[in-house]
Amino acid sequence: MTRRDAVVAGGLIFTHLLLRVGFGLENQVPDLMLLALLLASRSLSLRAGAGLGFVLGVVEDSFSMLSFGASVFAMTLVGAAGAQVRHLFVGRSIFFHSTYFLLGKWVRDFLSWIVSDASGRGGFVDYVLIESPLASLYVAAAGVAIRLLLTRESNRR
Amino acid sequence: MVGQARARRRHRRTDFHIVLGLVLLSLISVNLPADAQRSVRGAVRQSVLRPFIEIQVMVTRARSQARNYLTVRAQLDTMLTLIASQRTLAEETRQLRGLLQLEERSPSRLVPVTVTRSGTAGSASVFRIDKGSAAGIARFDAVRTDRGLLGQVLEVNPHSALAIDWSHPEFRVAAMTADGQSHGLVEVVQGQYREQDRLVLSGTAYLSDLAPGVEVLTSGRGGPFPRGIRIGWIAGVAGTSAGWDISYYIDPAVYPGTATYANVDIGLPDDTTRAAREATDSLAAASGSR
Repeated sequence: MTRRDAVVAGGLIFTHLLLRVGFGLENQVPDLMLLALLLASRSLSLRAGAGLGFVLGVVEDSFSMLSFGASVFAMTLVGAAGAQVRHLFVGRSIFFHSTYFLLGKWVRDFLSWIVSDASGRGGFVDYVLIESPLASLYVAAAGVAIRLLLTRESNRR
Repeated sequence: MVGQARARRRHRRTDFHIVLGLVLLSLISVNLPADAQRSVRGAVRQSVLRPFIEIQVMVTRARSQARNYLTVRAQLDTMLTLIASQRTLAEETRQLRGLLQLEERSPSRLVPVTVTRSGTAGSASVFRIDKGSAAGIARFDAVRTDRGLLGQVLEVNPHSALAIDWSHPEFRVAAMTADGQSHGLVEVVQGQYREQDRLVLSGTAYLSDLAPGVEVLTSGRGGPFPRGIRIGWIAGVAGTSAGWDISYYIDPAVYPGTATYANVDIGLPDDTTRAAREATDSLAAASGSR
C-alpha cells in the first residue's frame, strides 16, 4: 500500500466520522468509511484487509444498541474480499470501480442485515432491496469520483 | 522456485487462518453478553470517537442557539404566565393533602441535557446525552422534553450516556389515560417501513372506549418512569385481541428527530430516599412495638 493510498483512506475515514458523527449528517453523506475500506483493501494483504475491516466495524458499531457486531462481521468479510479481488481483476476501468463499490456496499449491508437482531432491523425488501441499493449507488458515485480525481493526479505525475 | 512457492502457500494459509479467526471473533462479538458489548462500545466512544462527539455537541449547541432564541423566549413567557395564574394552586394542594392526610408527593429532579445523534450504521433510535453518572443519571431514567416523554437512558458513563427514544424496539412504558381509568402498556409496533412505526397502547380493557384525542400519560407502575409524563394522544383503534383487550394507536407527544434539548428525570435524591426509608422503618418499628 502506497503512502498516498493510506492518506486517502485515512482522509475518507476522518471525513466520514466528521460529517456523520461530528455534523450529524447521517445518510446525507455516502458511506465513506466503507469506501476507504474498499479502496485500501485492494492494496493490502488478505489479513490486513480483514483486520482493517474488523477495526472499522468496531468503530461503526460503537453506537449500535441492538446489533453490536453486525458491522464488525460485515466489514471484516468485505475487507477480506476486497483484498482478494485484485487477484481476480486488474480493475482500472470506471465500469469495474463502479461495480466494485456498488457490490461492496450492497454486500456489506446484506451481511450486517443477516446477523442483526431481528427485532431491530428493517424488513428484507425495504432494507436489502430498496434502501441498500440506493445507498450503494450513492457510494459508487462517490467512489468513482474520488477514483477519477486520484487517477488524474497520478497521470499528471 | 519450489521453496518460494511453498513459502507463498504457507503465507496464504496463515492469512486464511487469521481471516478465519477475525470472522469468528466478529461472530463472537455479535453474541457477547450485553455488559461486555457495553464496555467495548463505551471504550470506543471515549477514545476514538470522542473528538467527533465533542464537535457534534458544539455544532448542536451553536445551531440551536442561533435558531431557538425566539422559541425559548416564547416558552419562557408562557411559563411565567402559567406560574402567575397558578401560584395559589400549590398552596391549595398542600392544604388539601394535609386535610386528607396524604403524604407529600415525591419531587422529581430534572437534569438538563443536550441530545445528539450519531449517523453511523445501526444507531437508529439511539441518541447521546452530554451528562452521565457524575450528574446523577442512572440506567433506565426517563428522558423527557417540555412536550412529553422522549425515551429512556440505557448506558451511562461518568460524563455522558446513551439513551433510546420511543421508536426503539426495546422501548416500553406503563401508561394510563389522564383520568386514570384505563391502563395499558405502550410500545412500538413496527411498520413495513421505518416511517410506518407507530406507538400502540395495548392491554386496555375490552370495554374501554377511548375517543381520539384522549391524553395518555405514564402511569408509574412497575417501571422506572415517574407517573404523569405525557406520552401522546389516542389516535384510533389499532385492533382487538379475541374479545379480551383492545389496543389503540397513539400520536406521540414528542417526535424524536425534533428533540435537541431534554431533561433526564433522576427521581429523588439519594439522601431523600434514604430518609424516607428510615422514616418508614421507624414507623413500622413503632407500630410493631405497640
